[in-house]
Order: sequence, then C-alpha cells, then structure tokens
Amino acid sequence: MKPKVAFFDFTGCEGCQLNKLNFENELLDLLAHVDLVEFREAMDETSDEYDITFVEGSISSPSCVERIHDIRRRSKILVALGACAVNGGINAMKNIQPIEQVRETVYGQDKYRFATLPAMPISAIVAVDYEVRGCPMSQPDFLQLFKALVMGKTPPTYNYAVCVECKLEENECLLTKGQICLGPVTRAGCQAICPGVGQACIGCRGFVEGMNREAMVEILTEKGLSVDEAVKRLQLFNAYEVAV
Amino acid sequence: MECYHLAQKAVPDLLEHLKKIAPVYAPHQKGEKSYSFERVTHASEVVLDYNRTMLSLKKFFLPPTERLLQYSIQKQNVVEEEIKPEKRIFFGVHSYDMQAVLRLDHNMIEGHPEPNYILRRQDAIFIGISFEPDDYHFSRSVGIRVEEMEGFDLFLNKVDTNYYLFILNKEGSDLLKGFQKLKAVKDIVRFERNFKNKLKYHYNRIPEVFQHVYHSEVWQKVAERCVGCGTCNLMCPTCYCFDVMDDVALDVKSGERRRQWDGCMLTPFAEVAGGENFRDKYEQRTRHRVYRKFKYITDQEGVPWCVGCGRCTAFCPAGISLTDIVNNLIQDYENQQYAKTGVVA
Ligand code: SF4
Ligand code: SF4
Ligand code: SF4
Ligand code: SF4
Repeated sequence: MKPKVAFFDFTGCEGCQLNKLNFENELLDLLAHVDLVEFREAMDETSDEYDITFVEGSISSPSCVERIHDIRRRSKILVALGACAVNGGINAMKNIQPIEQVRETVYGQDKYRFATLPAMPISAIVAVDYEVRGCPMSQPDFLQLFKALVMGKTPPTYNYAVCVECKLEENECLLTKGQICLGPVTRAGCQAICPGVGQACIGCRGFVEGMNREAMVEILTEKGLSVDEAVKRLQLFNAYEVAV
Repeated sequence: MECYHLAQKAVPDLLEHLKKIAPVYAPHQKGEKSYSFERVTHASEVVLDYNRTMLSLKKFFLPPTERLLQYSIQKQNVVEEEIKPEKRIFFGVHSYDMQAVLRLDHNMIEGHPEPNYILRRQDAIFIGISFEPDDYHFSRSVGIRVEEMEGFDLFLNKVDTNYYLFILNKEGSDLLKGFQKLKAVKDIVRFERNFKNKLKYHYNRIPEVFQHVYHSEVWQKVAERCVGCGTCNLMCPTCYCFDVMDDVALDVKSGERRRQWDGCMLTPFAEVAGGENFRDKYEQRTRHRVYRKFKYITDQEGVPWCVGCGRCTAFCPAGISLTDIVNNLIQDYENQQYAKTGVVA
C-alpha cells in the first residue's frame, strides 16, 4: 500500500510548501509513490492517520503546541520542512526583542487578545524524525529525503559546513576577501548556492552540530564586527539556538 | 639535461604550440585575487606569476565529485563509468604541487590500485615553473626546493625576466619539436633563491617530535579556534579521502553511485553505524590531520606528506597556521626533553 502523506503548516510564510509545488515535472512522479491526504495549499481533504507528515513553520503560540501534539500523535514519521520548522528561523528573532514591544508591533491595541510564545522549532515540542533545511527548503534536498523515505532508507543529514561545497566548486572565498560569510559553521546541502553567486552565506540552513560558536564569533570580529554584531549575524535564522 | 633560453614574451607562443599537441591546463585568475587551473583557450589569460591555485592538480585525477556507476533494478544491471585516458598538458605547475601528485600516486597506485585515478593520470604531461615563495609557502622547509624538477617533463626556471627551459625527458623534448623560439644556453648561471626556514627543525627530525606530542596541549589550543569547516582537508593536495553515496532516481528503481571528497576535520567522517563518532572532538581531528601529514605515512615512506603549499593556512577562516602548530609541538617536545634530562634538545 502507498504511504499516506500529509502536509501541515505553522508560523511561517508558507514558502516551503509553495516551493514544493514548483517541482512541476517531478511532482507527478512523486505523487505516484504516495497517497496525499492532507495538504492545505493544494487540496481539501482530511484523514486521520499518516505514514509521513511534513510540517513547515515554527511554533509560536499555545494553540500551535496543542496542534503539533495532535499531529505527532497521528503521524508515524514526522518531517520538519524549512528553516522555521527546523531551527525556528527568522521568527525566532522575536525571542531576542522585548516581548511587550513585539506584541504591540504585531497586534497593536489587540495585543492582549492573542496569546503568544517565543518562536520555537518543531523539535522543541515534539520528536522530529527528519529535517529538510533551508529558507526556503531546498528542493533537491526534499527530493532526496522523499525518495529515501519511500525506499525506507535514512536520508542524508549534511552535518558539515557550506565551505565544503564551496571548495568542491572552487569558489573564491568571500570570507578571506573580507565579507561576512557564515559558511564555516552553516550546514551544507544547498551546494553553496549563495557564495557560488558572490553572496555571503547567512546561515539559513542552521548550524553544524556542536558548532564552535566562540571561534566563529572571533572570526567575524577579526573581519571588523563587534561581538554584538557578530552574534546578531548568527541569530538571523538561528536566534532560537543562539539565544545569547 | 638540455637547457634553453625562453624569453618571457615567447611564453604565449609556447602555449599556442602546446595547444596543438593536447589540451593545456594552466593557472588562470579566478575571482578577484585567487587562481585556479583551467583549460587554456587564450594563451594571454594564463597567469605565470601566481602564489598558489585554490585547488591543486588533484582535482583532475580525483575529481571533487564523480559518478562511479549507474544501476537499474528493472534491467538488473550495473554500468560502470568509462574513463578514457586522455593526454593533457599541465602547464605552470609549482614543484610542491608536482611532489603532491607523486605522493598521491603512491596513495592511489601502490597497494590498492585505484583504476579511475590511474586512467585519468597516466597520460598527463607536466611542465613546471619556478615561483617566489610568499608568507605561506614552506615547501623548502619540508625538503622541496622551488627548482625541484622530479616528475616534470619540462621546467621553466625564471631568471630575471626570462626563463631557462629545461628538457627533462623524451616526452619533454617531443613537445618542443617544431617550436622555433628557443635559444641554446651555453653556461647556466647558478643562483640561489632566498630561503627562509619556517620550521624550527629539519624535516627529518619531525617524526621524532611526533612520537612525544600526542597528548600535547597544543591540540586543545588549536581546537579552541577551529570551526571544523574542513577547508584544510579539501584544499590539501595530498588529502585523498572520499565518501561514496547513492543517488536514487524518482522511479526508485534506478540510480547512480557517486563519490565526493571528504575530510577528517568533518563530523560525519569518523561516524560509524549506531551514531558513535570515534573522533568527535576538534582537537582529535586536527591531531589526526597533522599526524597524517608528518608521522603516519612519513614513517613508512621517509618524506613528509605535507608539501608546504600553505593552502591549509592561507585559506583557513580562523587563520590557523600549520607551521605554528608544528613549531609549537617542537617547543613542547623540547620542554619535555628538558624536564626529563635537563638538556636542551
Ligand atoms: S565563501 Fe563562505 S562558504 Fe565559501 S568557503 Fe568562504 S567562508 Fe566558506
Ligand atoms: S549558502 Fe547559506 S544562506 Fe545560502 S542557501 Fe546555503 S545555507 Fe542558506
Ligand atoms: S580550515 Fe581552519 S577552521 Fe577549518 S577545519 Fe581547518 S583548521 Fe579548522
Ligand atoms: S598540510 Fe597544508 S601546507 Fe601541507 S600540503 Fe596540505 S595544504 Fe599544503
């Protein structure tokens, strides 16, 4: 029997799900392997239990917590999709601002009508089996994971730096040229797409496991940033992990 | 050994001449301040005075990533990649990079011969060129002179603004057939390049130091600054580790097997089934890397496996210097000896 697959979204821009719809040619091939049961962006149908559930967006309110527990209960395999779901993403920058100010900016007068929480990755609340990183999540990565799951294999995790992929391409290093590049501590898997076109890596795929944060901050301060500025750079997509 | 004069302005003509024989690869500018070996289309784009290319010649014989085979479950077959040997001329190679190829040959051909490497490597022709060492080069300190000609077919040694062209074997002299712009040299003017030793000991003594510094605190000090990015492995011309992975097609019934460079500074490198990692700390990894360059293979082969190109240091985002590591280890060793014997080593 084909695995039942569902998609859900939490706090995020829904860009990851849309990114998935952009597969065009591959999408039909993918769907041949699965039975799609819940996918708000694409269709309207619900089912109770899922073999593989994909979740995008971060947890940011008490209702999110309730919903993700429910989804987890109904899912055999749960996959976090994209930076918000995997690392908290851009949303987690809210965690490093005064919460009153955040509420006021977002909800104005109605600020007390909406309960809020610091933004968190899915894994902060429930067990996550696999991840597809990136902002938006990277398509090749998604395909890799999808195929691995359909075959019952373990998908790749790319627990090494973007620099590796940059070197494989023999790109000129932006950091040695003086730019602020987070490639040395950011997880690979994107084929160093940004440095490849001359844009510094801003860490959208999250960091390698056990990253040496002090050393990275020191590298950035040697490029002219203050410690504060260096930490802010690291926090752009990763304020949940780099909470100061 | 025959030697000729070659005027600097005749080098593009030589390149044009060589291009008629086989594809020529030479240093080109890449980005703002970096260099890489690329196929020559216009001789004028070749850079003769360069410090070091980002990747070494290794990329031609052991590509950063390559397909090994394709398989199909439906057809029940496996098709291995066919590599056609090709004559290629590598022009403007520095002596340390030539020495690195000879060391790679040892790793890839002796013992367990690696067919893909051999097929890509066997018809290569090497034309060397001298260089002015910069702050990062220390090849002479590991026993490789700027003018070391071993492995080359031709060698260009720059004297003032022109070159001595040395013909080192029959392949080399065959390359020059029909090339008119050479003038015979009667007396070779000997000259010495300035040499600044960057290692505190002669390289012969370094393996002895490494017998005593496995538990040195130098490793921990380096680890504090290292981010484990693997640049030092990937750019090293004598690192040759790779990982093998399968890419499955969307039909999940066919696919391909690839390999890609790997490195001992990276977390997954020493990870085994069950998630155990037998080198999970950065200090263990740096130690392993440096022992691979100065001790493990060196004990067997008698020469350092580091050729002093300076890439690992010049490109390290944290500015970690290999010569500093070795010199600090030597210092540590001397302190130990002194503590034991009261004699300065
Ligand atoms: S440009 Fe960035 S990602 Fe690429 S090698 Fe340099 S630091 Fe690493
Ligand atoms: S290079 Fe960095 S910012 Fe760009 S996609 Fe990769 S991880 Fe994200
Ligand atoms: S290049 Fe530098 S920072 Fe990166 S792994 Fe090597 S020593 Fe560490
Ligand atoms: S260890 Fe460093 S200096 Fe030595 S050959 Fe490798 S990259 Fe070059």
